[in-house]
Amino acid sequence: MRERITALGGGVLEAMRAARELWLTYVATIAGIVRFRRGGHRKGDIARQMYAIGNRSLVFIIVTLGFIGMVMTYEACLQLSRVTGDYSQIGSQFIRLIVSDFGPTLTGLMLATRVGAGIAAEIGSMKVTEQIDALRMSGVLPIDYLIVPRFLASLVMTLMLATLGGAVMYLAGGLTAHYSFNVNTSIFFDFQYLRMRHVILMIVKALAYGAAIPIVAGFCGLRARGSSEGVGWATTAAVIGASFSVIVLDFIISAAALFLTGGDL
Amino acid sequence: MMFGEPIASIGAGARRVAQEVGGIVVMTGQVLRALVPPKLDTRELWKNLYKMGNKSVAIVVLTAAFAGGLMTLQTGPFVKKLGATSLAGWAAGYAVLREIGPILIALMFSGRVGANNTAELATMTVTEQLDGLRALAIDPVRFLIVPRVLAMIVMLVALTVIGDLVALLGASVVGHFMLHIDWSTMYFSFADNLRPTDFLHGVYKSFAFGGAIAVASCYFGVTVRGGAVGVGRAVNAAVVASAVSIMLLDFFITYLSA
Amino acid sequence: MSMTPAPEPAIRVANVSKRYGDRRVLDDVSLELAPGRRLGLIGPAASGKSVLLKLICGLEPATTGAIELLGTSVVGKHESELGEVRKRVGMLFQNYALFDFLTVAGNVCFPLEQRGGLEPASLAERVANRLRAVGLAGSEHKLTGELSGGMKKRVGIARATVADAELVIYDEPTAGLDPVTTQKIYDLLAADQQRTGATVLAVSSDVSALAHFVDEIAFLYRGTIRYRGPAATIADAPDPLVRQFVRGELEGPLDERGGDDVR
Repeated sequence: MRERITALGGGVLEAMRAARELWLTYVATIAGIVRFRRGGHRKGDIARQMYAIGNRSLVFIIVTLGFIGMVMTYEACLQLSRVTGDYSQIGSQFIRLIVSDFGPTLTGLMLATRVGAGIAAEIGSMKVTEQIDALRMSGVLPIDYLIVPRFLASLVMTLMLATLGGAVMYLAGGLTAHYSFNVNTSIFFDFQYLRMRHVILMIVKALAYGAAIPIVAGFCGLRARGSSEGVGWATTAAVIGASFSVIVLDFIISAAALFLTGGDL
Repeated sequence: MMFGEPIASIGAGARRVAQEVGGIVVMTGQVLRALVPPKLDTRELWKNLYKMGNKSVAIVVLTAAFAGGLMTLQTGPFVKKLGATSLAGWAAGYAVLREIGPILIALMFSGRVGANNTAELATMTVTEQLDGLRALAIDPVRFLIVPRVLAMIVMLVALTVIGDLVALLGASVVGHFMLHIDWSTMYFSFADNLRPTDFLHGVYKSFAFGGAIAVASCYFGVTVRGGAVGVGRAVNAAVVASAVSIMLLDFFITYLSA
Repeated sequence: MSMTPAPEPAIRVANVSKRYGDRRVLDDVSLELAPGRRLGLIGPAASGKSVLLKLICGLEPATTGAIELLGTSVVGKHESELGEVRKRVGMLFQNYALFDFLTVAGNVCFPLEQRGGLEPASLAERVANRLRAVGLAGSEHKLTGELSGGMKKRVGIARATVADAELVIYDEPTAGLDPVTTQKIYDLLAADQQRTGATVLAVSSDVSALAHFVDEIAFLYRGTIRYRGPAATIADAPDPLVRQFVRGELEGPLDERGGDDVR
């Protein structure tokens, strides 16, 4: 029993130390952005990263968010059909939830797995093949050279994909409601309850996730050690860390919004 | 700007997806065949159960707590505004048991256990340990893969059950402390409005998700090519495939059980 | 930095120890390398050679002791403060560490680009010259995945020497190469050093070939420098341990376990 407690205590200390280093990585990234001109980058690095993150995740996001949109609408309509049978509110409420939460968060979760794993795998394999040390020996800061472009690209792309994902969700939901429950599309696609604060929430969340994912993933990649197992560990840790960050950030931002608007979301 | 290029790349992408889906189906067949007759290495099974459960309980519990709380944050204010606080638990709980719980827990499981599993198998493949097993006339599918698949399915179902309960707890905590909804109100709205079928619906899903994650993670693990870089790519492919499968299966199960 | 009549040593290691947890990898190592000299570092596997190289470059922190690289201390310095001195050093890594996201030309060009101040045309020319010197003329556009082990090593050498650095460090420049290529490589390294007057630190397990290239050899055994003397007479060193290692004899004071090291 005591062993478990020691292990738990050790684990907590370990987690705190990792959290501190993660925070330092974030600060270093911001510093790197400020230093951007002197980062020694290749031209077009950010554009390359935007392509890697954005274009290559496009189909993935469309497919996953489309299906989830269909499922959510289906379930909601099903419940309503048993209770009130009144579908007039479903579209307008759905878009409110999509914009303020599900759109950015589900996109964030999907990107946390895909982009998180990708970045950690790339940077992790560079670490175990000593390319990171080689960069350092040429006077290059790994955070500036590797993480900053991915950070900036991810901010832009996560926002764009969140918007697109949300739109796909709504569309898929509308089609489902129409074909399975005969809900009129003009009734479903109703933006009357959408407020500026929902859009602000969407932007804040998307940017928060877009910031967190590359930092967590880059951090895990830079800590890879050994050879293949090291890369595997880094990728796994990145996916978990990034996904969990998305969820926690969602919670914090939603709670803060609730607090600030006095309970009126 | 060639018009043919994007089409060609879509075609190539589709072919690659088809190849992978085919490979996964083949592996599923191999796993099923190895289960009949059920002669498997029980020691490997227990080892995997312990390892996977140990690794993932903490993260799943934490995730579930946050998810439950999140659902209340989303639905609670709306419910309160309508004055229907007795339904607060139902709104959050329904979504959690049927959708959010199984999906989120499966995603975290895929990230924690699935990715780890792929990394392990990929490393073993790259270091030629699988070939070594075959040279000793041990069938890697029976020895390595089947126990892992079974362990992952069992673990995910168990974790979903635990996670569901924790999520409901998280929902109540948030409801109480942030929305000032009474404990008892939450509890009764759970008890009155949530049916065992809602719970089981989520469990069936987790069963399917577990199978998908397990087979995908094993498949990409053993088909890895090319050293350390390949391992990273394999893990990447595995989590993406798992995520897509989860969403697709969720869709089909929802439709089929309505 | 004070102005002294005697030239600053290119590398100065003073009482350096390195511990990983409980394991002591380097124990009170002291070493100085005068500018323009060539020093070879030998020792059994896992005696701490690679770790020492990393410490010298500031890639990892020493547990205790002082280290100066080209007159600049690398102890307790932040990563961003070490960039300048590192740009004056060329390094060949044991496993090449080529950038797999760049072409061969991109790899060789990299140190030059980071230093800045060169026109693209002269960059390309210097890269081409370097590649020709290592026998890889025309390979500019190849990707690292298309190269054989020997070719990768030569790209690594090109990258380490392209900027005519003041100090060049070679970690196993000829490991895994056949004897003829080994000789060619050492001839190339020697010609480079003659031309630039750079200081050289070379780690190698092939003692005989190394001995013809360097002026002095230091023997690292179980984390300490047991011996340092002229390369020409290394096979007749007074220390029996060194003699056994250099001559490759099976019997002697050297035991099976060379030391502790971690990669």
